[in-house]
Amino acid sequence: MSNTLRPYLNAVRQTLTAAMCLENFSSQVAERHNKPEVEVRASKEVLLNPVVISRNDKERVLIETSVNSLRVSIAIKQADEIERILAHKFTRFLTQRAESFVILRRKPIEGYDISFLITNAHTEQMYKHKLVDFIIQFMEEVDKEISEMKLSLNARARIVSESYLSQFN
Amino acid sequence: MAFRKIDIDALEEDAFGEDEIDFQEIGELRPLADVEAQVNSRAQEVRSLLQRGNTSGALSTSLQNPPYGAPFHAAKARNTQTVMEVLNSIKVADVPQLVKSLSPEEQDVLMKYLYAGMAAPEQNNSGHLLAWHEKLTEVAGQGCIVRVITDRRTV
Amino acid sequence: MSIVDFDGVSYHLATLDDNDAKLNLSIRWKCWHELVQYGAVDVLKREYSRWIIDPEHGYDFTLQFDLDNIGGDPEDVIRRVSLLKRNAMAAPFERAFDAQSLAEQEDHWDPSSSQLMTIHYRDGEAIYVQNQQDRVTVIFSTLFKEETDRVFAKVFLQEFVDARKKPHLQNAPQVIYSHREPPLEIRHVPGLLDSESQGYITFVLFPRNYAAGAVREETISRIQIFRDYLHYHIKCSKAYMHSRMRARVSDFLKVLNRAKPEIQASEKKLASGRAFRRV
Repeated sequence: MSNTLRPYLNAVRQTLTAAMCLENFSSQVAERHNKPEVEVRASKEVLLNPVVISRNDKERVLIETSVNSLRVSIAIKQADEIERILAHKFTRFLTQRAESFVILRRKPIEGYDISFLITNAHTEQMYKHKLVDFIIQFMEEVDKEISEMKLSLNARARIVSESYLSQFN
Repeated sequence: MAFRKIDIDALEEDAFGEDEIDFQEIGELRPLADVEAQVNSRAQEVRSLLQRGNTSGALSTSLQNPPYGAPFHAAKARNTQTVMEVLNSIKVADVPQLVKSLSPEEQDVLMKYLYAGMAAPEQNNSGHLLAWHEKLTEVAGQGCIVRVITDRRTV
Repeated sequence: MSIVDFDGVSYHLATLDDNDAKLNLSIRWKCWHELVQYGAVDVLKREYSRWIIDPEHGYDFTLQFDLDNIGGDPEDVIRRVSLLKRNAMAAPFERAFDAQSLAEQEDHWDPSSSQLMTIHYRDGEAIYVQNQQDRVTVIFSTLFKEETDRVFAKVFLQEFVDARKKPHLQNAPQVIYSHREPPLEIRHVPGLLDSESQGYITFVLFPRNYAAGAVREETISRIQIFRDYLHYHIKCSKAYMHSRMRARVSDFLKVLNRAKPEIQASEKKLASGRAFRRV
């Protein structure tokens, strides 16, 4: 498994770096509005082709680009019920704190677990390569975190059950 | 715009429609039958090249003149499948060599097909495609990815 | 004074209005009538005979103490009284254990003597106790309100089943866990809820688990707190997860903030050399 992780993250990194060419762009539909075009989807000519990078059918990343914004949606590995629950809890926990994660979208888009929305304002304030680093690191750590949580849950369950049953001896 | 029942912007004459954008980029669409015939005959040609062990020939043939334009769903899927067959029959070790031998246009087309393949992870071996992606990016650079994202001529 | 305990038990502790020396303790529990049916009164009489009076209004059972003459070592009395709920609950267990050992002594098994005792101790959750030829089966039906609880519980209960297989735990009762599907013993019971959140845990107790007096008392106490034990640990796990996530989130935030360029706090100097800050 882990031998495909590196090329997977690499591909995401390259694609993000390529896609993150954003500039300030006012809405052509409503005057004096300036919205992330990738969200409004009002004018077709400023939207670019969405691309999907997948590691397997569970883990994939959708990158949608437009002239002034970029949306990255991540589907996290969920091998069984526990991982599903943990991933769900974790992403919910994060999205509730979206206020401080400026680039986090409050709601993931359909079919994915978590979405980031990067606008030209963000790329102007922050280093682009660091932003890419952040997303890559996020993807790495989410997987790690979830499997660690699962392990600790199992370990706890084991200790708890053994100590309960050993009382009967 | 929720308070409006009708999307008045769609009625705006200056607004670009999907078709117009495609027209600007792609030009006049070829007849459907022609495109499908071409795709099918290419699939056979590629297969016979593969059987003879000529992988580089098969690869560049499969990347020639792909079907562009919205109406050709079936042809696109068929052609993607042909490319995937070629890609899967090539060993990872041979990839850098082959990628270098492609022309820049062919590299761009190949990148488009890589993304198209990864969009359907149930059907294709994503791990293999990721290896291709890595090698291709090494050779062709990020401009190649940018061209995939910006090109209206999707595969 | 009102006191509450697990499983919807409430106590009422008060001195009498007209006599400060008399202290009343009353208990109210939804499943009291079921416990009485299974012989709770006998057990309670054995334990508390000298204090029992008629139940206070609105409660199921009342003890009255004369503070001037408690009748025994105060520490001991308090300890015994605090076990009130546990003792009431012990009745069906004792009955099942007795019936089983009786059958074994007489070496005669009459299938009709197997009695399935049901205690609906919580809303939607129940304990079933049944004596059989060579063992006593205790079944908990559990209901998890939250999806997360359910999944966590599944992990825990699976571990219970696995832990039993370890050599040093061979003496422990056998544990069987089934999700949604009720076990054979209670399949005929009407009104079982058929839903995703329903689970059944079966403990199979063998005579060695309830042979002598002390062991038996221990077993009864342990089994009773099983649900509380399980839920306590589920809650703890969730709390642990949360603290982990919190730590992880602050990590992520740090990484993200690193992406922001350092803003130089430029100090402008006046001609005089004094620093000033634009407000």
